[in-house]
Amino acid sequence: MVPEQDVLTISTIWSQLVQRAEQEKSLHLAEFFASDKDRFGRFSLEDVGLLADFSKQRLTDESRDLLVKLADERQLRHWMDALFGGAEVNCTEGRAAKHWCLREPADKAPGVHEQLDAMEGMADRILKGHWRGVLGDAITDVVNVGVGGSDLGPLMAAFALQSCLPPEGLCRPRIHFASSMDGSQVSQILQELNPRTTLFLVSSKSFTTVDTLHNARTARQWLARGLGLDYDDGALLRCHFIGISANAERMAEWGITPDNQLLFWDWVGGRYSLWSAIGLPIALTVGMAGFREMLAGAHEMDEHCRTRPWETNIPVMLALVDVWNINFLDIRARAVLPYDGRLKHLPAYLEQLEMESNGKSVSRSGEPVEYDTCPVIWGEVGPNAQHAFFQLLHQGTQAIACEFLMTARRYTEAVHSEALGELESQHALSNANCLAQSRLLALGEKALDPALALPSYKRYHGNQPSTTLVLDELSPRVLGALLSMYEHKVFVQAVIWGINPFDQWGVEMGKVIATDMLEVLADPDSAADLDASSLALARHISSKQK
Amino acid sequence: MQITVYGDTLCAQVTATAMAQTGHQVNWCVVEPASRERLAQGRPLFREQGLDRLCADQLESGRLTTGFWDDAPSGIPDAVFLALLPGQEAVAEQLVKTLAGSTGCGVIVNQTVGPVGTAEQLRTILKSVDPRAVLVALPDLIQEGNAFQTFTRPDSILLGCEDGEGEGMVRELLRPFNRRKDVIQVMSLREAEFSKLAISGILATRISYMNDMASLSESLGVDIDVVRVAMGADPRIGESYLYPGCGFGGPGLSRNVLALVDALNERAAEPGLLEQVLQTNERQKEVLFRKFWQFHQGNVAGKKVALWGVAFKPGTHRVDNAPALKVIEALWAQGVEVSVHDPKALADLEHWAQGRGALTLCNDPYEAAEGADALMLITEWKPYWSPDWQRLKRVMREPLILDGRNIYEPAFVREQGLVYRGIGR
Repeated sequence: MVPEQDVLTISTIWSQLVQRAEQEKSLHLAEFFASDKDRFGRFSLEDVGLLADFSKQRLTDESRDLLVKLADERQLRHWMDALFGGAEVNCTEGRAAKHWCLREPADKAPGVHEQLDAMEGMADRILKGHWRGVLGDAITDVVNVGVGGSDLGPLMAAFALQSCLPPEGLCRPRIHFASSMDGSQVSQILQELNPRTTLFLVSSKSFTTVDTLHNARTARQWLARGLGLDYDDGALLRCHFIGISANAERMAEWGITPDNQLLFWDWVGGRYSLWSAIGLPIALTVGMAGFREMLAGAHEMDEHCRTRPWETNIPVMLALVDVWNINFLDIRARAVLPYDGRLKHLPAYLEQLEMESNGKSVSRSGEPVEYDTCPVIWGEVGPNAQHAFFQLLHQGTQAIACEFLMTARRYTEAVHSEALGELESQHALSNANCLAQSRLLALGEKALDPALALPSYKRYHGNQPSTTLVLDELSPRVLGALLSMYEHKVFVQAVIWGINPFDQWGVEMGKVIATDMLEVLADPDSAADLDASSLALARHISSKQK
Repeated sequence: MQITVYGDTLCAQVTATAMAQTGHQVNWCVVEPASRERLAQGRPLFREQGLDRLCADQLESGRLTTGFWDDAPSGIPDAVFLALLPGQEAVAEQLVKTLAGSTGCGVIVNQTVGPVGTAEQLRTILKSVDPRAVLVALPDLIQEGNAFQTFTRPDSILLGCEDGEGEGMVRELLRPFNRRKDVIQVMSLREAEFSKLAISGILATRISYMNDMASLSESLGVDIDVVRVAMGADPRIGESYLYPGCGFGGPGLSRNVLALVDALNERAAEPGLLEQVLQTNERQKEVLFRKFWQFHQGNVAGKKVALWGVAFKPGTHRVDNAPALKVIEALWAQGVEVSVHDPKALADLEHWAQGRGALTLCNDPYEAAEGADALMLITEWKPYWSPDWQRLKRVMREPLILDGRNIYEPAFVREQGLVYRGIGR
């Protein structure tokens, strides 16, 4: 059951948190550490191969206890039961959000495992070189055609796990991603590939996404041309296209053969779908066994989240720390900074997961909210960001929370044995930089030699809070746990704010208007009731094309 | 002379037989226990046309005796031939040490094909024990399927021998096979080994080149066989190794090219061309599968294919790296039933297939074709050259002939009412 609808009102606990923040505002993080040597022990948690250190957050025992009370007041227990009980937690679309169910063991989710088995059959055929193109060649290149959740998740995870060796005897195909609707990626990719050996995965929950269908059509025409076949040739479709969707009918209409259809369900949101068949590119990277390990890691985190008391619950504590920063310390941005290049695409993935989920300003009951919700989130591989926007973090005027990610073990794969010494020292250098930056951001010049007399432009104010996440290693299991942790964190925040994290009405209207704009671009003079700017732009473009 | 030949290879069998036949007393010592068993039963290891007979004759006459490599030597041989399998480097080293210790051995002739520098290495070990001992390199140039002929009537003999050490002795041993004109070319140990690999490399390159030309012929609508004859007539090119087909295999050729690619890789030189040659060949091994797949538009599950010839070339029972193996694996993976005929290689094939998949092995070629949706000619054994087309048409479910060696006349086969697909025509 979904809890009775509630609006977040300015309760006693909320007011106490406001007061608390007021009292602690003048405290500098350097003082937190100076007066409290055991902070790390009380403000860090570890489970499922993950350590979360939030001792560099501007948090005291008092504020933490109040935040936990806030979670109770907001009926977090009920909401969590509703989520994991399969209740209709997505109220505006009238459905449950059961992405966690995709990670359940076979006895609890037989339907899910039926699709996983189908996915395994396809992944194995491709990895063993048994999937053949229409001319009988083994597939060497796989192109994932999808956008949003059908792109960001698989791209991020497949890239992150590339250094894991594919299982013995299997041959990993090269994997490419085409998402942008203007065709820039697909045109580039198609130039380099051989139609005889290329397989396309067309991924779209609704199978109506314009971006994806246009890219898929371009690919299909490219194949037909290159292989000298008709656009509608049955063998071409059978040998070169796999469809992944919640809508079997539309897949079939487009031309995906029934045997090549992988299904998922309405109750899986796009940005939560990498655990379903949408994750096929991940399975093609680490093998299906690796993919199942990733699911197992995520399931362990589900159990952690479902059963741990809030104080020792990693996703809950991360959510509460974020709420503290946003709603009480007035910090409106968060930088995601992985100090491991394999997590290069994690910031983009989190931008969608968090901002599409919690970028809302209307409560579940339809009232406008009177407080901040999701902050602006952006990020970059840490060491590269140091040469880009760290200047603003250290000496700018904005208060920004940072999230550092690092891996403890790396380069353990046998392939690196020759250059191991060099690579290990690079890994150590990267981790050292990560620790140095979070320390300097927190302590400011107090981290430096007090004898240094610095001119004002060389000073570091510090007091920028951060969380550091340490992964034992970047394995499928730990990555699964990490992503599941973020999903639950987002949900917990939404509960505190009283908003629905599972819809995305804000992205719908643009699609509708774009259809009208196509007509305007074709004939600007036909446009009626268009604002002056849009009309002038359409005319300008049209004149340049003549 | 007293001669000892070590090794389980075709080269060892040919050398031992040829030496015994020309009057020497030869002791042939094998390394693998399985080989010892075979020889103890009086059966030669390799059953090539003519060779097994000659070998058996020599065994019977008593000029050829057999033993095991670490048996105590019965006497000191005048010459020793090493013709070991790849991967038996440790055996070679141990043999060389033992031989060096027993004074008086005239010459050690290394025929084993290994990386360039193998013979030098063995010679260093030998000289460290007995500085007067002699080792020469005589790389194995035997062509399988025609092994005895190529050893006893060679077009050229590569002899790696330095400072004239042992040259006289080897010339004496090879005298009966070097009569028409002197075909022995003397060079350094490394040069002899490298020449052998370089020869394999260019032969492989010619075949892959022709296979590329064959693919092109298909899209240009010309018959590669006409082109092949035209090319071969040019004396700068010559006729041999110009046959396109469904890939080369065998334990020798591909291994030698691989050794060459390894050597290039190790020295950071660009192996671009040779890697491409091998890749083209691997792709070519599946060419008949692709033709079958295309014919049925990918709907091949549950169909049946007959293979004629699985040995890596006619005249041998061996299937090592044979194109047929790749075809069979590709067919299995698509759920296609496979039946096979081969005059000599069925036992080796059955051994290979154990634990991999199911095959129907037939002693009659037409029995294999019974109910088949395609017949793939993979190894051009002579009995396959003129089949009873009407009978094939009757017994096959779909009369599709996939000619992997271009041995049939396309127009004639089509006139008989069958569907013909060759390589590049």
